[in-house]
Amino acid sequence: MTPVPDPKFDWMNQSRQWGVRVKPGKKGLTLGSLNVGIYGEIPTEWNDQTRNPRGAIPRRGMPPVGYAIREKAAVWADSAADLYEEAIQRRWAPATDVPWDTIEPLPDDVERAVCQVCTELSQYANVDIETISSWQHQMAYGYHEVKQFLATATFDAGRHYEVFRKRALYNGGGLGLEAPGEVNRMILESRGGWTEAVTYLFLLRGTYAMTILRYLERFAHNDAERFIYAHVIQDRARHMAYALDHLKYSIAHVDAQAQVLATLLFIGDRIFARELRDPVLREALAVIFGGGVAKAATTGMATWEAMMRDFMARYEAVWDWLRVPRAADRIPEEMRRFLPEAA
Amino acid sequence: MARFPSEAWFGAVAAVYNSDDRYQGAGGGHCNCTAGLVVTGEDESVLEDVFVLTFEGAECKGGVAADEAALDEVDFYMHMPRADWREMLEDIQHHGHATENHTLNSLDLDRDDGLSTSRHGDQYREDLFFRYNQTLQFYFDASARVKTAFA
Repeated sequence: MTPVPDPKFDWMNQSRQWGVRVKPGKKGLTLGSLNVGIYGEIPTEWNDQTRNPRGAIPRRGMPPVGYAIREKAAVWADSAADLYEEAIQRRWAPATDVPWDTIEPLPDDVERAVCQVCTELSQYANVDIETISSWQHQMAYGYHEVKQFLATATFDAGRHYEVFRKRALYNGGGLGLEAPGEVNRMILESRGGWTEAVTYLFLLRGTYAMTILRYLERFAHNDAERFIYAHVIQDRARHMAYALDHLKYSIAHVDAQAQVLATLLFIGDRIFARELRDPVLREALAVIFGGGVAKAATTGMATWEAMMRDFMARYEAVWDWLRVPRAADRIPEEMRRFLPEAA
Repeated sequence: MARFPSEAWFGAVAAVYNSDDRYQGAGGGHCNCTAGLVVTGEDESVLEDVFVLTFEGAECKGGVAADEAALDEVDFYMHMPRADWREMLEDIQHHGHATENHTLNSLDLDRDDGLSTSRHGDQYREDLFFRYNQTLQFYFDASARVKTAFA
């Protein structure tokens, strides 16, 4: 029988700061409230290439994992810890929270349009999942608040993928035509860094998706749809909050970053405008807004145009707030015509 | 019977909201913001009543009468003519919750000047209207259980 070695307890004196105590506040014991003493020191660069949690003592000889993103300016948002808590607090479950039994049969043309829109929105969600997760594992553990928030954003997107698929399958229509996917590919294949991905995923696509969802809530056919759209809006608004906070931080800490974002939007807008030429989503939305095919070309398209004006007004308000310099002639005509100043 | 808008009315609605656990689940939950509520005249540049609603965690603290300067401080504020507020609240009273073009989001889209705005222009704070939209909607929906008179 192998003898049990005498314990030495050498590890027990290994602490960078003894005596730290955190206490629950009004919001409970939140992730952000743990940032006290040395545990609240968030360095501008994180050179530890291992999974060493921030504040722990590194073990010598640990092989590097190879985190590519180790600069605070490349990921940080002061609100990340609070947004993480908020995502958990305000979660919802499509299986049981949506009042599915309020969905009644719709005219075939309207049902087909709803299913088409849900198909494309579920693809948007899928792109959210793949994009966030493809960057998240590259982020160093020095910025765990961001990594944890992004984990909730991925889970949110999983919920969105689920709920739009469920709506499409609930009422006899099923899934429609796959989206053209040019913007999806642009987002997924952006390789310039997480900030670039944030610009395309949240600022451009996110603003557009939010606007679509707001109009869908306005034209919902029943309480189930109203619930779905309203709740996805909330989740997406939380993702946008991270994006705004991160982009503001990035612009404040990276030289010429506002100009870089302007260039990224110049490139991204062209691909976005090209995808706008695809008629499928536009027509499906017009059918919903018009209450059927008969009025899709008139009231439906008029509402679609109003939606696009709201989208561009919001998009412009955000880049103005971020102080990203943009000249109107650098915005494609397909988008520029919806700017407030073009009215 | 509480009269809209008044501190008594906002307090009565807050009491219903705070006591109903259903408002804390299914996409509701903790909410931290200050929201202005403005009742205008038919001429929307005339502000007749201003209140500040405060949400802290799971609780709504109710609404406090304020002056116009308070609108500089709130995260965002919702503004409509008296008749439109009344129409929204009567729809909620009738159905138990806001329907169709009476939800906060719909009103924000349908009105020429929107429903929610801010004076500071801070997009992050303005967006709290969307981030907490269900909580705000739950709050106003709770008014279905408050006997309301209109000034």
